[in-house]
Amino acid sequence: MMTTLTRQDLNFGQVVADILCEFLEVAIHLILYVREVYPSGIFQKRKKYNVPVQMSCHPELNQYIQDTLHCVKPLIEKNEAEKVVVVIMDKEHHPVERFVFEISQPPLLSISSETLLSHVEQLLRAVILKISVCDAVLENNPPGCTFTVLVHTREAATRNMEKVQVIKDFPWIVADEQEVHMTEPRLIPLKTMTSDIVKMQLYVEERAQKAS
Amino acid sequence: MDDLYLDNIDEFVSDQNKIVTYKWLSLTLGVHVNTAKQMLYHYLEQKRKETSGTRLHATYLVSGKFVENGTMCHKVSVVREDKLEDVKSKMDVTISVHVYSIQKAELKDSGPLYSTDYDAVKENLKNCNKYTAIRCASAVPRSSSEMHRAQEMAQVTVAENAASKPELTNHVTSNPTAKQPKGIMGMFANKSTSKSQESSKEVKTEQKDDAFAVNTSKSKPSAMGKAMSNFFGKTSGKKVTSDQPDKPVKEEGGGAEGMSPSQCSTKSEPDTKDEPPKESPKAVTKEVKDVKNSKTKRLEQSDSEDERMESQKKKRRRIKKPHPDSSDEECEVVPESPPVPEVNTPSPDRPMKTESVSHLEESSECRKRKRRRVLKSHTFLDDEGCIVTEKRYESESYSESEDDSKASSQRVKDTTALQPTRRKREEEKKPTEKNQKKAPASTDKTTKQASIKGFFLKK
Repeated sequence: MMTTLTRQDLNFGQVVADILCEFLEVAIHLILYVREVYPSGIFQKRKKYNVPVQMSCHPELNQYIQDTLHCVKPLIEKNEAEKVVVVIMDKEHHPVERFVFEISQPPLLSISSETLLSHVEQLLRAVILKISVCDAVLENNPPGCTFTVLVHTREAATRNMEKVQVIKDFPWIVADEQEVHMTEPRLIPLKTMTSDIVKMQLYVEERAQKAS
Repeated sequence: MDDLYLDNIDEFVSDQNKIVTYKWLSLTLGVHVNTAKQMLYHYLEQKRKETSGTRLHATYLVSGKFVENGTMCHKVSVVREDKLEDVKSKMDVTISVHVYSIQKAELKDSGPLYSTDYDAVKENLKNCNKYTAIRCASAVPRSSSEMHRAQEMAQVTVAENAASKPELTNHVTSNPTAKQPKGIMGMFANKSTSKSQESSKEVKTEQKDDAFAVNTSKSKPSAMGKAMSNFFGKTSGKKVTSDQPDKPVKEEGGGAEGMSPSQCSTKSEPDTKDEPPKESPKAVTKEVKDVKNSKTKRLEQSDSEDERMESQKKKRRRIKKPHPDSSDEECEVVPESPPVPEVNTPSPDRPMKTESVSHLEESSECRKRKRRRVLKSHTFLDDEGCIVTEKRYESESYSESEDDSKASSQRVKDTTALQPTRRKREEEKKPTEKNQKKAPASTDKTTKQASIKGFFLKK
């Protein structure tokens, strides 16, 4: 059974956004675990997509990540989010690694609903697995790193975000140039996934010399 | 056996950065598991001889017998290479050791090992034991009538299981209650209670690939109670092995370094001392049968879905509460680090966002029965005799299975008898039902984002 839906079919847009935001939440937690941004003691094994993943238990960290994604979700619904980037910075706030999730959604969606979601789940599982082993291709980070999440949007979507605070007291600001661009990064592709509802590419930009 | 497989493995491990487990290799190359194990062994030997090149990490599966508390126990565990000798030395009789997996990355925990096999097994579900060494003549797939009966039985026995859980915990000499979080985890004490419930929950049984019929006969009484047979139990088994060697190391380390975050070290040390010796061993590593059952159920479910909304709902609920687990493994590393509140990098001083959304999101991630706040519309007659319809949030208790029936029962419910308003109410009920069908979090979002949506629709 094939159905053709358009972007205006907001129900479906919301479904895709929900899936992606859930995935991004798991991915961010996993990145924090694998790259040792936080001590592994705060992480706990949980289950997502039928496989074990590490999620943090720290309430404020979790709240921060959830708030962040809550604000990103409307952008994804409208297909205005081009990239979601998890930037890991050293003590001087210079980025050492950037995990870039490039997201694109086809404007016209043809889907067959029976196996769609389980197929998407399988693809997301593969991305999660790739993140788990990414430390084989990356160098160790210096101690005391922090992280932040950047969203690259298409066109002028951010202007609305600044005007309308989706979450009270959780403002989004335009990112500093130094967080956005890294000088001479090494590009390490991790995974590409293509499905009927979304295409995603995950790669890492790594600074050549991490220990400053 | 020609040497082409060495190139294959090399490609998987070095070029594609995959984790190559023996099971995955056997399914991918179509060889018997024992052959796959030998292949991995040869590959590892060859690579280790070459001094150049990337460093490889390996995990091993060790099984053996040892005496604990006077009883002979059979233990099977997956251990990292650096802990292999320790584990072997602790056993009285080592029955089998073989390479479990090879990968470039140094794995911090065992999760990816399971993920690696998951899809491979799922694809070969009908014949996933084609290459294994375990054979049982009576193990045949069930017919559909048997499946129906089994599902009905399962619903009946869920209630019984709840009653029998306390008995099981007696057998489980490892510490369901003592699973209070240690170290840094102690700060999140309110989350710990669910963990202790989880540890006593596991009742599934498993089969291991290498034939160890001995496994079941020797350890039957405690295997039942042990219930370490699902994947997360596997980590406990590993935990035993990885903790026992770690214990002496840790105690020395604790003395020498004089760990500063005192709450971490003092909590974690006594806890790890308690835990490993108590745990009854038998961590059977792989779930073949049970994975099969849960997967067939899941596939059946997805086949019968008519609406995407329902599948979306199920997807959301899959985040389960934490399992009894390897917090020990992680905690070993912990003592080095300062207590978490100081590590406040992502500006955690953001005040809590609006209650309703957070509450809804939390409840959507919890399992079973929970209360949630739902947008409902109430129609009533106010003082002036006017009929007022008001939308407001109400707490409502729900459970996963009841969602559908609840939505339909609301349609039937009729609170007032006033004719002219009935139609209006029904119209309003429909959007609220629709909202309820979606995941709870999005209900709130539809009202919150009315302004943004309105802007775009005007175009």
